[in-house]
Order: sequence, then structure tokens, then C-alpha cells
Amino acid sequence: MNTINAGNITKGSFIIFKGAPVFITKAEFMSPGKGSPVMRIKFKNVQTGAAGEFTYKTGESVEVAEIEKKEMEYLYRDGEELVFMNPKSYDQVSIPMGLIDDQFGYLTPNLKCWIVWYKGSPIGATLPSHVTLKVTESPDEVAGNRINAPKKTVRLETGIEAQVPLFIKIGEKVQLDTTTGEYLGRVK
Amino acid sequence: MKTWQRIKNDPNLMEKYLVRERVIDTIRSFFKNQGFHEVFTPILVPIPSIEPNLEVFESELRTSKGEKRRAFLIMSPEFSIKKLLAGGIGNCFEITKCFRNEEEASPLHNPEFTMLEWYRINADYKDIMKDFEHLFLRIIGKDKLEYQGEVYDLSLPWPKTRIPDAFEKYAGMDVLKVSDEDFYKIYFNEIEPELLKIKKPYFIYDYPISQASLSKPAKDPRFAERFEVFLGGIELGNCFSELTDAKEQKKRFEAEKKDRQRMNKTEYPIDEDLIEALKEGIPAVSGIAVGVDRLVMLAADTSSIEETMFFPGKELFDL
Repeated sequence: MNTINAGNITKGSFIIFKGAPVFITKAEFMSPGKGSPVMRIKFKNVQTGAAGEFTYKTGESVEVAEIEKKEMEYLYRDGEELVFMNPKSYDQVSIPMGLIDDQFGYLTPNLKCWIVWYKGSPIGATLPSHVTLKVTESPDEVAGNRINAPKKTVRLETGIEAQVPLFIKIGEKVQLDTTTGEYLGRVK
Repeated sequence: MKTWQRIKNDPNLMEKYLVRERVIDTIRSFFKNQGFHEVFTPILVPIPSIEPNLEVFESELRTSKGEKRRAFLIMSPEFSIKKLLAGGIGNCFEITKCFRNEEEASPLHNPEFTMLEWYRINADYKDIMKDFEHLFLRIIGKDKLEYQGEVYDLSLPWPKTRIPDAFEKYAGMDVLKVSDEDFYKIYFNEIEPELLKIKKPYFIYDYPISQASLSKPAKDPRFAERFEVFLGGIELGNCFSELTDAKEQKKRFEAEKKDRQRMNKTEYPIDEDLIEALKEGIPAVSGIAVGVDRLVMLAADTSSIEETMFFPGKELFDL
């Protein structure tokens, strides 16, 4: 059994909480003026998708969920599940939407992701740090005298919206950060 | 993009940054109208306060002759203000910059922040609760606060819960049998979720004496006259009926000095000048420290304090 000090829990990692594997969505080290420092975490149960929170003493030892990562390609959405495929073996797996959450809008067919496995079951997916998406809708160019790189809101092929510079046109491709949603550049 | 550039691009953003100015004006007039003195104490000091969990910014002062002195940025103005209380200043308040090093990045922390402290003589911590309620209502300007999609009822009175009662009721424990180490784990897991159910600001008070280095024992001496006030889980202020017994204070400082050593924090001597001030005698007094940035954040309805700062630490230091 692998353990770490609760003080070392990080966002994006997997631990065992009350017997179940959970994905850490927030980890905040807190040092009250008096008393001992604590680690406050927010998490998602990777089997049920249920969210929870807990506070550990920083020195407490916490079991790490022993996960494995495999590279797979995104295929399509099937109701509340997302289907991925291993491009070598053509094996397919389904992952509940809830585990991808707000990153769903960055998934395009054949996008390579890391699928996280725990005890033989897929429990989550890690997206690449940035993706390229096509602009499908954009407001008419705003003529103006604004000089400081103003932005406009456009709609992308997956249906999400993004803030991009005014010079971006329909049909062009842009690169976005999958954590912050920020525009990184135009892709030729 | 830097904050000043974003404001230049979108002048509508300026509005929420100006909330700070309004909040600070309100605080000043609230206390000045009651005859409090506004005091100005040093930010650069030879010996800072000694909270064991907090890390300090250290610098060095050099004279023109090349002599060196250790110099620190304050973590709180409390020690200086207590000396002024010994000197006879009476009711007073200060709004000052404070600094804490090695703090985890969080929406509620910035390495440099603004602290409000006020001290009321011949008063105890319950009087300060009243001060806080009225000050907060004045700042918000109405008895409802809409903050990040929640509505908080600010109408008086606000719930006040004794720590031993909360531990008994919500955790089924005798708080005096809970170690300092376990205290906050139990508090956050068992107690806070219950207190959050009522959408009002709330006070919790009477901490075990070991949790309150600068406060006076309560009638039951196993507890200290200390309270904290929260809104939606956000700590807004920490108050003590101040310990005025020099001998007892020195004993507690020595224990905290050892704690700092054990926790590998910067070490420095005990402020003997403060012990001297307590020996001379300070009046019965209660004081509170309030994070002004958090008040501004609530008034401006932003999700972090940095969104109320023109120059957040994150931006300045690439945190």
C-alpha cells in the first residue's frame, strides 16, 4: 500500500478516501493562527461521481490510489458516457461524463487522451494541455478604435465558446488551453 | 495581461476595484465617530509577533557605518498597539499592511494584505462582537448580502456558539480532551458544515486556553475569551479579551518560541519591550484583527481577494 502525507496531496491526484478511490479537485493547505496546519481537500468519487470534502491533519498518512494510465483516442458521446478506443488493440471503454465535466467541450474525435485505470476499470481521462478547434460562428467584425488587443466571443466546432482576438475568422482553427480555456494562438 | 491593462481595456472593471476605497472610508468614519484614535505603527520592526504557524519576511537594516540589524515585516500590528495601550492611547484602531511568507496560494491569501485592528478599553470580547456586527452592517449598507450566488441574512443578532457546546453537539466530544493537533480536523469535518447551514454570519467563542496565546482566561479558566467570526466559512476576524498579565504572557511566548523552533520557522527573540509594557500595566482591553481584503471581497462580490487588488501578489511575483 502506497501512502503519502496528507500535506502532499495535490489537485489532480487520486487517493483512497474511506475505501473508495477519489479524484482530488481542490487541495488547500491551511495554517490556522493557532493549532496545527490542515489540508482541506475537495474530491470526486470516481465510481459514483459524487463530490465531497474532507480535512486532514497535514502529517496524517493517506493511501494513494494506485492508478495506471493508457493512451486512448476519443470516439463519441453515448448519452451520459464518453467512448474511447485503444488505437492498437481497438478495445473500447466508456467513461461517465461527470468525470470529465467542464472539459467535455475540448474533446474532438480521435483526440488522444490518457485514460486513468484503477483495479481494471477506467475512472477518468486526462486531456492534452491544449487542443485545436475550428471556429464555426463569429460575430461580424467590430470596427473600432480599440487598440489594446480586444477580444470577441466565438463558437467552436464542439459547441463551446471562447474569447479570441478580433482577427480570427469563421473556419480558422485556434489553439486553447484545456485547463483555463484561454486562447493560445491561431493554427494555420 | 496585467490588471492595469485589463482595466484600461475595459473601464467597467474599475468599479469593483474602487470598492476598497469605500470600505476603508467606512471603517475610518465608523471608529472616528466613536472617538477612537487612528494609530500608525511601524511595518518594519526589529522583533515581529510570534505566531508559531506563520512565517515572517526578514530583511536587514544597515547603518551608514555598515552596522547591521535584523529587520522584519510585521505579521500583525498587535505588539506595537499594545505598547501604545500601556502608554495610555485609549480606544484606538489601525488599518495597516501586514505580510506573511510561505503561505499557500489561496483565494483568501496574499503575501501582503491589509489588516484592521481595533482595541476597546474596559471592554470584553462580547463588546467586540457587537462592534463587528455594526461595522459589517455599515460596510454592506443593508441587512442582506448577495455573495457569489448565495444570499446571507445579516439581520441582528448573529448566531453565537461556544466552542465546547459545538464540539459536544456536533461531534459528541469534550473539546478539552481534543488535542490541539486534532482540533481543526474535527472542526472542519464535523462542526463547520453544521454552522454553514444557517445562511448568516456566525461567531464561535471560548476556545481551549491552549488555542489562544494572547487572550485572557474566561470565567472557566480552562477556556480563553477568544472568538472568531465567519461568513460562509470565510474567517473574517479573530478577537481576544487581551491577556494583560506579563508573567503569564512571557510563559506563553516562551512556549511559542519553542514551537517555532520545532516547526523550523525563522527564530527571533521574545519582544521584551512588550513584556515591559504589560508589567507597567495596560487597561482591561479587548481587540480584534480583521482581514480588510476579505471585507472588500464580500462587498465587491468577487470570489477571491486578489480580484480586488490592483497589484495582486500572484501577478507581481508570478506565483
